[in-house]
Amino acid sequence: MNALIIFGLLIALMLTGMPISISLGLTVLSFLFLMTDVPVAAVALKLFTGIEKFEIMAIPFFILAGNFLTHGGVARRMINFATSMVGHWHGGLGMAGVLACALFAAVSGSSPATVVAIGSIILPAMVAQGFPKNFGAGVVTTSGALGILIPPSIVMVMYCVATTGHPQAPSIGQMFLAGVVPGLMLAAFLGFTTWYRARKFGYPRLPKANARQRWHAFRESFWGLLLIVVVMGGIYSGIFTPTEAAAMAAVYAFIVAVFIYRDMPLTRVPKVLLDSASMSAMLLYIITNAVLFSFVMTSEQIPQNMAAWIQGQNLSVWVFLLVVNIVLLAAGNFMEPSSIVLIMAPILFPVAMSLGIDPVHFGILIIVNMEVGMCHPPVGLNLYVASGITKMGITELTVAVWPWLLTMLIFLGLVTYVPAISLWFPRLIGVM
Amino acid sequence: MKILDRLEETLIATLMAAATLVIFVAVMHRYLSGVAFIQDYVIHWNLAWAQEVCIYMFVWMAKFGAAYGVRTGIHVGVDVVINRLRPDIRGRFVVFGLLAGALFTGVVGTLGANFVYHIAETEQVSADMELPMWLVYLAIPLGSYLMCFRFLQVAWTFIRTGELPHHDHAQVDGIDPVEAANEGGPA
Amino acid sequence: LSTAWAQDQIVIKFSHVVAPETPKGKGAEKFKELAEKATNGKVKVEVYPNSQLYKDKEELEALQLGAVQMLAPSLAKFGPLGAKEFEVFDLPYIFPNKDVLRRVTEGPIGKQLFQKLESKGIIGLAYWDNGFKIMSANKPVIKPEDVKGLKMRIQSSKVLDAQMRALGALPQVMAFSEVYQALQTGVVDGTENPPSNMYTQKMHEVQKNATLTDHGYLGYAVIVNKKFWEGLPADVRTGLEGAMKEATAYANDIAQNENDVSLAQMKASGKTAFHTQTKEEREAWVKALKPVHKDAESRVGKDLIESIYKEAAAAGFKM
Ligand code: NA
Ligand code: NA
Repeated sequence: MNALIIFGLLIALMLTGMPISISLGLTVLSFLFLMTDVPVAAVALKLFTGIEKFEIMAIPFFILAGNFLTHGGVARRMINFATSMVGHWHGGLGMAGVLACALFAAVSGSSPATVVAIGSIILPAMVAQGFPKNFGAGVVTTSGALGILIPPSIVMVMYCVATTGHPQAPSIGQMFLAGVVPGLMLAAFLGFTTWYRARKFGYPRLPKANARQRWHAFRESFWGLLLIVVVMGGIYSGIFTPTEAAAMAAVYAFIVAVFIYRDMPLTRVPKVLLDSASMSAMLLYIITNAVLFSFVMTSEQIPQNMAAWIQGQNLSVWVFLLVVNIVLLAAGNFMEPSSIVLIMAPILFPVAMSLGIDPVHFGILIIVNMEVGMCHPPVGLNLYVASGITKMGITELTVAVWPWLLTMLIFLGLVTYVPAISLWFPRLIGVM
Repeated sequence: MKILDRLEETLIATLMAAATLVIFVAVMHRYLSGVAFIQDYVIHWNLAWAQEVCIYMFVWMAKFGAAYGVRTGIHVGVDVVINRLRPDIRGRFVVFGLLAGALFTGVVGTLGANFVYHIAETEQVSADMELPMWLVYLAIPLGSYLMCFRFLQVAWTFIRTGELPHHDHAQVDGIDPVEAANEGGPA
Repeated sequence: LSTAWAQDQIVIKFSHVVAPETPKGKGAEKFKELAEKATNGKVKVEVYPNSQLYKDKEELEALQLGAVQMLAPSLAKFGPLGAKEFEVFDLPYIFPNKDVLRRVTEGPIGKQLFQKLESKGIIGLAYWDNGFKIMSANKPVIKPEDVKGLKMRIQSSKVLDAQMRALGALPQVMAFSEVYQALQTGVVDGTENPPSNMYTQKMHEVQKNATLTDHGYLGYAVIVNKKFWEGLPADVRTGLEGAMKEATAYANDIAQNENDVSLAQMKASGKTAFHTQTKEEREAWVKALKPVHKDAESRVGKDLIESIYKEAAAAGFKM
C-alpha cells in the first residue's frame, strides 16, 4: 500500500515536468510528514550526508576532465587518428566516427559529452564529404553511448553509489573493468552495422593512409590517448583509487589542453570550471534526493518486501532479467540514466542478489540498457545533443538511428543472457 | 543582484578547482613519501584532511551549484507530457513546477536551519580537520534558501515574459562546427 | 507494518553498519530476542543492519535527533562528537590484556566515560568487543622499524594517525570496504585489524605477512537516545538492562570465538605468514609506541590515562 502511494506520488509529480530531484524530494517530504514517525529533521541530515562519500566525488572530477578534453582539441586529434586507421574501409568517416567515439569514451565518463566532442567535429566533415546527414547522425548518436560503457563511466559510479551498503555491492574498480569487453564488443557491433550499410549504399571511402601518416596521427593524439593509461592503468596498478584517478585525469586534461595542445587559452578555464561545477551540482542534487528516496523506501521495508514477493513468485532468473529489461527500457522513455539507476537500482539489486545474479553482470546489463534509452525518444539525451549539432528534428533523427538502435538491442540481449561477456575479463585480471 | 550572481559563480568554480588541487597534491604527496631520499622531508606533512576537505568543498559546491542550476535551467525534468499540452495549460504546469521547487527548497532550508541550530548546541567536530559541524552543515540552509529564491525568481520572470532559462547540452563553447569541419577532415 | 502503528508497543530501532552475521550483528539480534522476552512483548526491537537506514557518519546524529533509538558505533566515533576521552581506547598498548580491558569497561572508568555522553543526549549501556589488532603488510613486520615508510590504512582517528606516524609509517584513511582492493593493488601496503575483520574482508589473500601484535583494541559502545530511555517505564527499563547485560556477555563470547576461528582459518589458508611476538619483540613495540600516550594526554586527559595505568598495575602490569 505504502509502495503504491510513494510511487504514485512520485510519478504524478514527475509528469508535471518539475525537476526529477524536486519530485523525489517532495515525495519524501509529503510521505514523512503525513505517514510515518521518522522525524523530518532526518531529511536535513540526509541531504548533507547523502553525498558525503569520497567515491561519489569521482563524478565531478570526471566531468571536469571531460570538459577539458572536449574543449581542448583532444577529440579532434583522436578523430584524425581514427580516420587514418579505418578511413579507407567501407563507410570511411563513419567507421572513423565509431572508433573515435570508442577512443573518446575511454577518457570520458559521459555519453552526451562523447556525442558532442566527436559529433560536432565529424558530422560536418561527413556532410562535406557527401554522406547523407542521417547516416552520420545515426552513427554518432549511438556510438556516443559507449561513453558510459567503456570505462571511466559516471553511470557506473552511480550504480555503485545506489547499491552501497548491500553486502554484495560491487566496487567502482570492478565495474570499470567489467565494462571493457562489452564496450569493445558493442563498438565492433556498431562498426559492423556502419560498414554493412555503407557498403550497401556505396558511401564514400577515403584513400588509405600510409604508415607515416598513421604514425603522425598517432603521435599527434598521443597525449590524449595517454589519459587512458593514466586512468585505467592508474587504478589497476594501484597508484590511485578511482576518485583519485578522476582528479588526476582532470589535472592531466587541463595540462594537455592548455599547455601541450594549447587549444584552450587560460582565460577560458574559469568558464570550464563553472560549467563543470554546474553539471556536477545537478547530478549531485539528484543523488542526494535519490538517496533520501531510497532511505524512505528502506525504512518502509519496500525493497525487502518486494524481494520476498518476487521470490515467492518463483520467477526464473531468465524471466526476471526480461522483466528488468522491460521496466528499464520503459523508464528510459521518460528519464535520463542517472535518475533511473539511482531510483531503480536500490529496488532491483536486492532481488537480483537473492536470485543469485552476479552484481557486476547485473550492473553491466543496466548500463547497456541505459545506453539504449539515451538513443530513443521521447527522452534521450544523446538524441537531443545530436539534434543540437545536426539541426535535425527528433523525429527525423529517430528514423536515422534505428539500424544502430536495433544493433544495440540485440547486444543488450546478449549481455543479459551471457554473463561471461561482463565477467570474463575482471575474473581474468583477478579482481573478482 | 549582479553581485549575488557573480558571487555564486565564483564560489562554485573556485570550489571545483580547489578540490581538484587538494586531491592532486595529496596523491603526489603519497608517492613522494615512497621515494627513499625525499621521504624524510615529506612524510611528516599531514595530509589526512585532504579527503575530508575535498568532500566538504564538493558538498558546498553541490548546494550552491544547484541554485545556480535553477537560474541556468540545468535541472532536468520529465517534460514530454506537458510539452504536448496547449501553451496556456503548459504554462500553468511550469509555474506549478517552479513553485513546488520553491516549496521544497524552502522547507528543506528551514529544516536545515533548525538542524544546524541543534548541532551548534553540541560540540561536534569533523573527524579529521575538527571543524565545528554546524559550520559544515551550514551549506544546507544557505544553499537551499538561495535555491528557493532562484525558483521564485525564475517563476516571476516566466509569469512576466513567458521565458524560461534553458540549458543547451549540444552547445560547446569554442567548437564551431564549420571551422571544425575544415580542420577535422582527413589530410 | 501494522504492529508499528499499534499504540501500546514501544519500538526500538537498533541500527548498525555491519552484516547480521558479524559478532555485533548477532549481538543485536540476541538483544532483540532477550529484550522482547524480558518485557513480555511490550518492546519491539527492529534491527537494521548494513547501514540500511543510516551510515557510519550520520548514525550518531540520527540518534540525537531521535530518528533511531539504539546504536552500537565503534568507540572511535565519540571523539568527533565532542567526547575526546573515548580516544583513549585507540591508544596502542593501553590495555596489556583483556583482563585489564574488562576492569576498565566494567568498572568506574567505563561508567565515567559514559557520563560524558549524557550532555550530548546519549546514554551508554554497554561496551562490546571486536578484539585486539593484528599488524599486517606485504613484508615481515617483526620489529617496529619494519613499518617505517609503509603506507598503512587506518580508520579515521587522530590517535591511530599518531600511532602510525610514531612508527614512521604514512597513515592513509580509507573506507573499510575499499581496503581489500587497495591492498591488492598496492594503494596501501598494510593495515591493522582484529582477526575476524581481516578474515571476513579476505585481507589475508592480499597480505603476505602479519604479526600478532595485539597493539590496539577495537570495540563498540551500545548507546541509546537519552530522552527515549528516560521516558521508558521503570519496569521496562530494568527488563532491557537485564537483556543488555546478557546480550553483552553473548556478543563478547562470540567476538572472541570468531577471532579464534578466523585466525585459525587464515593460518590454515597459508596465504599469510603469521608471526607470534617474543617477549623482547613485544617490549620493542611497546617502547616505540608508548610516546603516543604522552602525546594524547592533552586530548584525552592525563588523569584518565593514569587511572587506566592503575587498573593495569592492579592486574599485575607495570606501565
Ligand atoms: Na567512458
Ligand atoms: Na529514451
